[in-house]
Amino acid sequence: MENKIPDFSKPSRQSSVAIGIILIKFIKITFRTFWPVLISFFIGRKTGGSNFESVIGYVAIGIAALNLGGSIMTYFRFYFHIDKNAMVIDKGILKRSKVNIPFERIQTINFKQNILHRIFNVVSLEIDTAGAKKSEISIDALKKEDAEALRDFIISEKELLINDSPAAVEVEPENLLEEEILHLTPMDLIKVGISQNHLRSMALIFAFVFTTFNESSDLISDFIADKFEQYESTMVNNAFLPILLLIIAVLIISFLFSLINSILKFYELNLSINKTGLKLIRGLLNREEITISKNKIQIISWSTNPLRKMFSMFTMKITQASSTEANKKSNITLPGSYQHQIDKILKAVFSEEQPDYEPEHKLSKLLKLRLFLFFGVIPLIIGAAVFYSEGVQALALLIIPIVSWLIIGLYHKKRSFQVNYEFLKNNTGIFGRTHELSQLHKIQAVRIKQSWYQKRKKLATVLLFTAAGQLKIPFIELDKANQLENFILYRVESDKREWM
Amino acid sequence: MTAQFQNSLVDIDALPQIENLEFIPIDRNYLKVSLISRILIITIGAIAPVLFIHFNEEISYDALPIIGGAYVVLMTTSITLLRMGFKKKKYALREKDIIYTKGLIWSVRTAIPFNRIQHAEIKQGPLERKFNLSSLKVFTAGGQSSDLMIPGLPSEKAQQLKDFVLGKTAEDGE
Repeated sequence: MENKIPDFSKPSRQSSVAIGIILIKFIKITFRTFWPVLISFFIGRKTGGSNFESVIGYVAIGIAALNLGGSIMTYFRFYFHIDKNAMVIDKGILKRSKVNIPFERIQTINFKQNILHRIFNVVSLEIDTAGAKKSEISIDALKKEDAEALRDFIISEKELLINDSPAAVEVEPENLLEEEILHLTPMDLIKVGISQNHLRSMALIFAFVFTTFNESSDLISDFIADKFEQYESTMVNNAFLPILLLIIAVLIISFLFSLINSILKFYELNLSINKTGLKLIRGLLNREEITISKNKIQIISWSTNPLRKMFSMFTMKITQASSTEANKKSNITLPGSYQHQIDKILKAVFSEEQPDYEPEHKLSKLLKLRLFLFFGVIPLIIGAAVFYSEGVQALALLIIPIVSWLIIGLYHKKRSFQVNYEFLKNNTGIFGRTHELSQLHKIQAVRIKQSWYQKRKKLATVLLFTAAGQLKIPFIELDKANQLENFILYRVESDKREWM
Repeated sequence: MTAQFQNSLVDIDALPQIENLEFIPIDRNYLKVSLISRILIITIGAIAPVLFIHFNEEISYDALPIIGGAYVVLMTTSITLLRMGFKKKKYALREKDIIYTKGLIWSVRTAIPFNRIQHAEIKQGPLERKFNLSSLKVFTAGGQSSDLMIPGLPSEKAQQLKDFVLGKTAEDGE
């Protein structure tokens, strides 16, 4: 492979497969923007004459030609090369642009493959840079070996630029040593699929169904309403069986949906670690490769739900500082990680002692009363106001405060935080459990909030902002909040390490 | 390891305490700025219903006193809250961080260490310009919600503050 590394200093085009890939991308965009028009054309075809049909034909041919021409031209007008420690991309048909990204500004280089990429053994390259808002650059298709060579070259050059001491060069071969930490076996994958949050899948399906119904004509809802009206009287008497069947059907569909979804997404998931960072590969149809360098990691969290707990598995999330707030793509999610793997990752990323043995600071008990007011008492009052005419049956509403009190009790029991010199760890959960861990010196700002009620009770809510989201500690004693703030500010201001 | 934490716990009491800081109130003229802009907004908001009544045949002018009363109540509560809330807007500069507090019903205190500031800018609206006031906005990598804005600073002072903050940030970067 060594001798086949292409010369990156000369402007070169992408792999020729790119034409096809760009074409498909274009067609997708066209469909996404014009699908209502297309559908109305097809509906119009039934009513309109033959004249109409030919118009549609021309429009379709026109769009296809435009897409094909566009993708070919895009391909031929796209050059990239490396020039003096910078990646240069020269592109654009009508509006030509030349982008120059210095290596220091490159944050991560990630690979992605969809089915087409995989057939032709090419990858698409995404270069994420720090700074400006729209700063992501992508190359649609490169031969896999070339892409890997390019990435390795850029990363090693970047390392050299940052620490231009000769020591850095010697360490390099060690940098490339990779250790596999996590590999999802087919069995694990199935466990992950089974223990997904099926309620979320259900919500997704419902959202999809409702939006589709809304977008299509009112005819369908009228039709359904009609049918229902006919059966209403019988429905009321024999509602139990159909409703039961419906619930079972929905449950099965949600289950299958999340199972298939997780197989597609997490197939052959593989996480490895080297000196500088983590590398994740995953996916069945669309294969992704994401790298995160260690010092960019801001928060690591791991959580279980009751189902996943049965397999003693956790979902791990590793979030990194990103150029834009909405950029969630470069965060790593690892479902189906076992405790020993989590420990290993934590140890590899942070060398410092975890706050596991520190005292767990609880939240004020008054939070329970507050939550009970909002989720138990107020819903009960509203419910009572609405249903009081139902008489004895309205007593069923009493289930609301009972359930909410139990849930609040669970929440309060599990909610705590731990601090040591290096870390803050947030523990939370109701039926499952979630832990969030961040290094104190990575905190960007500290905020103390007090509502009128909290002020009276000498309580406060602490918000800690990191470059990858915020950590929240609600309802602790004001003294403790002040202490925490003073301590964190001291730690941030006295720590000379880079936060990313 | 518990021993180490106990150590740091003792340290905590010896640390500089934010809660006992002397905070500096913002410029008095800023109260005028916010009062004028609030009155303008409410007045503009009141024009629409009045016009609606005027051109709508079905609603008689009898409704006018009710609307007028609501308007007066809205105006007075809004102004009172603004006046009371104004006293809460204070800031403090320390050797290593900048702190701003605000909020009457929801009190909020945000502290940003200088070595975490990404950049700072000065803003001035048309009304503020009349009173020669500016706002200092400080940005961090913690996202929009963590940014800090100190309004009602005399323009020269805002510039000084900005230079000071950025100077400190650059110092720490070395």
